[in-house]
Amino acid sequence: MTAQILDVLTTAAMLFIVCLGLQIVYGVMRIINFAHAAFLTIGGYSALVAAQLGLNPWLALPFAGLVGLVLGALVERLIVRPLYARPLDAILATWGLGIVIGQLVTIGFGREVQFVPSPVQGTVEVAGATYSLYRLLLVLGAGLLGLAVAALLSGTRFGLVTRAVIMNESLAEGLGINSGLVRFACFSVGAGLASLAGAAITPLSSVDPNMGVPWLVGAFMLVMVSGASLRSLALATLLLGGAQVLISAYASPVLGGLTIVVLAAVILRLRPKGLALD
Amino acid sequence: MTEPLPAREAPADPALRRAALLFAATLAAVAAGPFVLDAYTVNILIRALLYAVVALTVDVLWGYTGILTFGQSAFFGIGAYAAGLAFTHLGFSPGVAVLALVGGIAAAGLVGALVGWLAFGYGVTPIYVSVITLVLPIVVTQLLFSGGTFTGSSSGLSGFDTLDISIEAWFWLAGGACATLTFLAWIALRSDAGRLLVAIRENEGRCQYLGIDTARLKIGLMALSAAVAAVAGYLYAGFTDVIAPELAGFVFGTQIVIWVALGGRGTLIGPVVGAVVIEVVSAYLSGELPYVWNLVIGAVFVLVIVAAPGGAAAMVRRLWIWTGRGRARAGPGPAIEVVPAAGGGPLPDEALALEDVSRRFGSLAVLQGVSFRVRPGELLSLVGPNGAGKTTLMRCIADGTERSGGGVRIGGHAVGRGPPAECVAYGLGRKFQTANVFDGLTVAESLRVARARRETPSLWRRSATLRLPAAAARVVAATGLDERLADEVVHLSHGLKQALELAMVLALEPRVVLLDEPTAGLTKPERTLIGTILTDLVASERLCVVLVEHDLDFVRQISSRIIVLHQGRVALDGSVAEVVGSELVRSIYAGEPQALAEA
Amino acid sequence: MTRITTRLGLLLGVLLLGTAGARAQETIRIGIPVGLSGANSVVAPSVVQSAELAVEEINARGGVLGHKLALEVADDGSGAAGAQKAFDSLVFQKKVNALISMETSAARNAGLPIVARAKVPYIYTSFYEGRSCSPYMYVDAWVPDQQVAPIVDYFMKEKGAKTFFLIGSDYAFGRGMLDFTREYIKKTGGRVLGEEYQPMDASDWTAVISKVRSAAPDAIITSTAGGAPNVTLTKQMRAAGLRSLYGNLAVDEGTAKSMGADGDGIFISASYITGIDSPANKTFLAAMQKKFGSDLKTPNDLSVPQYEAVYLYKAAVEKAGSTKPDAVLKALPEVAFDGPRGRIQMSKQHHTPLTMYLGQVQADGSVKVLKSFKDVDPGDQCPKLP
Repeated sequence: MTAQILDVLTTAAMLFIVCLGLQIVYGVMRIINFAHAAFLTIGGYSALVAAQLGLNPWLALPFAGLVGLVLGALVERLIVRPLYARPLDAILATWGLGIVIGQLVTIGFGREVQFVPSPVQGTVEVAGATYSLYRLLLVLGAGLLGLAVAALLSGTRFGLVTRAVIMNESLAEGLGINSGLVRFACFSVGAGLASLAGAAITPLSSVDPNMGVPWLVGAFMLVMVSGASLRSLALATLLLGGAQVLISAYASPVLGGLTIVVLAAVILRLRPKGLALD
Repeated sequence: MTEPLPAREAPADPALRRAALLFAATLAAVAAGPFVLDAYTVNILIRALLYAVVALTVDVLWGYTGILTFGQSAFFGIGAYAAGLAFTHLGFSPGVAVLALVGGIAAAGLVGALVGWLAFGYGVTPIYVSVITLVLPIVVTQLLFSGGTFTGSSSGLSGFDTLDISIEAWFWLAGGACATLTFLAWIALRSDAGRLLVAIRENEGRCQYLGIDTARLKIGLMALSAAVAAVAGYLYAGFTDVIAPELAGFVFGTQIVIWVALGGRGTLIGPVVGAVVIEVVSAYLSGELPYVWNLVIGAVFVLVIVAAPGGAAAMVRRLWIWTGRGRARAGPGPAIEVVPAAGGGPLPDEALALEDVSRRFGSLAVLQGVSFRVRPGELLSLVGPNGAGKTTLMRCIADGTERSGGGVRIGGHAVGRGPPAECVAYGLGRKFQTANVFDGLTVAESLRVARARRETPSLWRRSATLRLPAAAARVVAATGLDERLADEVVHLSHGLKQALELAMVLALEPRVVLLDEPTAGLTKPERTLIGTILTDLVASERLCVVLVEHDLDFVRQISSRIIVLHQGRVALDGSVAEVVGSELVRSIYAGEPQALAEA
Repeated sequence: MTRITTRLGLLLGVLLLGTAGARAQETIRIGIPVGLSGANSVVAPSVVQSAELAVEEINARGGVLGHKLALEVADDGSGAAGAQKAFDSLVFQKKVNALISMETSAARNAGLPIVARAKVPYIYTSFYEGRSCSPYMYVDAWVPDQQVAPIVDYFMKEKGAKTFFLIGSDYAFGRGMLDFTREYIKKTGGRVLGEEYQPMDASDWTAVISKVRSAAPDAIITSTAGGAPNVTLTKQMRAAGLRSLYGNLAVDEGTAKSMGADGDGIFISASYITGIDSPANKTFLAAMQKKFGSDLKTPNDLSVPQYEAVYLYKAAVEKAGSTKPDAVLKALPEVAFDGPRGRIQMSKQHHTPLTMYLGQVQADGSVKVLKSFKDVDPGDQCPKLP
């Protein structure tokens, strides 16, 4: 029982971390960044490079975030910027970009599965259950990241202008806010967070050119369901991630694998706003 | 309905003749193909041509109608598995072959309709269809994987007995099917009915306010394109003797979108050529450079989406024009034929009635307890300061899903919670504040789309005439739109767009017309013209017009009655003289620079 | 438009046929459809390398019946659609005399109808879930009947394991392996506590691991898709602190080595392990090292059968006296080759009795051979074939 509760919590935490970058981009720009999977992959390989450079495994996380941030900035300038008025085309262009990044990673690092040392090993006892320490740390990490992003959005001037752009872009522009700059910053931060997430899941996953892809559709659905709100995202990952764990446990893991996408599709049909709280 | 005179059709349609020639030439090339090509190329081409059929369906959905689908592969897979499973488990016989084909088409059509039903509910975001078509291949693939020995799981099934015809015959079948479907799709899409799809892509909201049930159209289209994709899949399985889950997968689904984008969406021929060329070239090149090939395709795809969304077809067209061989073909527009009014029996005593209508956004009440009745032949103006709820009230009248409480009757029919198309069916027409038109259609096409509810458009023919009711024809003639019937709407001036929208609304032959600031941004003579037309219509056809207007001069000149809205309630309801002289109105408008009484 | 492609096709076709026709006279051409891209792309280079070595060695000793051998490699994308292109290209365009390939089951199945239409001898060199039968296809790699027994027997007899938990990816190989494993465990008196499958691309094994934990089996046997799923499952099991006996039916030596600490203690069963102590294997490894130097991809259980298959084809052509498909197909089960894996003869219903090795991954990443099982029979794979 304890183990199952922990399964739900840690799964939700992992999903939350993976979705965060995608949600920031979607929330501000109403653009679905299909290159999200590629940025997760970039994060995994950043962790690999960090390990090869002999960096402390904990330092791999900020390193990956930085790499993602820089690449994201580049991508925004070159590819995403011309597509703000064409959201469907933005989906396609970022999808194509994902293909390109995947192939470049393959050419650069080879297709084989690589390994990155985990910053922590082993298990701990929690209320009678033996549980993976790293997974528990992920819950903490998700909480901290969520709080940090929330603080960034509500406590800083950057957050203020960003929220203004989310609510009413033309009004915000009328007030002298440079919405192009806000979008640029948001896309870069989103890509950085995606890359950070990619590094954060490496201890539980392999590092290979397609490592991000299995996460993409689930993350995409979770973000669609939660709209632009962080609290909704937390709720959605907890509800749908929890459903995935329980269905995997009591029905079959194969059905569990479809849980998030199918549930999200149904929720969006019944309630186009999804789980958005406001 | 009367068919137009055959004589009008006689001036042959040069585009149609060119297309028919191209079609005949393609068929001849297909017939000759197996004799001039080596076996390998024929093999590759058969598969590529079947892929091209699927690309064609994606182009109709995405390029023409604006429905971006990633899931067309699922329907291809359903058709393929219908064949593979039937032949594997029941053995091959002509009966089984027919059964499998019918079964595959039916299954794909049903799933397609289900997807459409999920995706096209009123109020569901447009991006949802992309979401659901993304989920579909994932679910279908997983089902195939879980099918054990029945579906062959990841390995698929192969080596079943199949239609035993020569490779030449397969080539003719695939090539003939692809060419014929492309030609038929071209005919259908340039027909009057086909223009409806483009109208949906350009402005779905306007379509709904023209009384077109866009959801039903799109669901039907989804089911039809699913069925066609299933036929292609069925042939694919029959030819290759192989079925595998990747045929139904997400990667294949996105690959089709890539072909369509590179070939040139919205051109039919572009995606077909794109699919065939990319498939054939990749067959020759990818063996040598597997990674580089995918990299090149991915990079070109991004480049095309960002910098040349029209794909190869648009580039070819530009080159054609640049070399001076293309010429603008905006010939004279069709002749206008005035149709007699449909005449829906005697006019009821009441055209429009509101009872206790309210609208809330969260805890904020924008409208409260609004009730009034309007008779035919009345021209009612809604006035009030900014934020009084005028436009919200218009929305609540024209769209059953908008109001929070109360009831609306149009022509005696109670409007339930129905979408705009239902209100239009009861005789309502709505003109929006800013011109709400179809930029990508011509003026004549736009007006035909507006007539679609009254006269079912042909699926294969373009009419040579433009049939309009007298009121609409008058607006068209008076504003000079009749000179520009063949022009694309995007090239019209602001005033002409406003006039076109008004003509489109009148083409519906409505009994109640809602007009939201019809004169905004118009010149003085244009305003006068619109005013004259409106008062004439009210007088001669007993039309009921409800108007929101800031130009109070205009209001005083044309209204027969005025309702003043203030803070979401009816503050005053009376004749022009009563309202203008009212003390209450003076206080409501106090502080507004252009108060009603002084105007 | 079709006319443009037609011309393009014609042009390419003429060019290719022109060059191919000249060579076809003197060389015997072997087609290798293989997954240079997609899921198999990790192992594909090693497969191509071993085939190249075999061809070089044979040509250096005078070829086959006086003809030189040549390879034609084509990418099958590790899937059905790509395999159709690759087989078409090799059979109809390059007109190869035989096909020898390590491929996914989906790719093999997709290729078989093309092989049947062209009547080309085909040697399949990848281990697979078994029971794929065609008169044109011979298999020189293992099937579940050969691979499962060593691990299960060792766990039960030497380690006293009674209860098992089976985990797989939901695809043909995963299901096929575990079906056989379950039946074998029951037959030999063990108990299967649970059997769980995840979609092939799943990367999160949380729920499955929880089930294993609460079932507390003596041993876990897994058969996932190769590469990523295998690695994620192993990592997550280790992170969760599961320490049951762990037999992995899908891990290759190279991947096991690179897993580092997580790989320690895994039991594997294979027909080839680099540590096989035989003169043939040592000669083979030395020749590979000499030919490829620092580019060498470590030979493995998928690449070595490819090497041996080229030699088996050579022997069959020599026995038949020509490359005529009928004669070669008749000769293939009758010839044998002594290769790195020992004596190989595809004599049992188009499949091959093989010596199997049980190994365990050591802390330093090397695989220690614990035991060998001589000439394990593939069982009744294709009773309808001779």
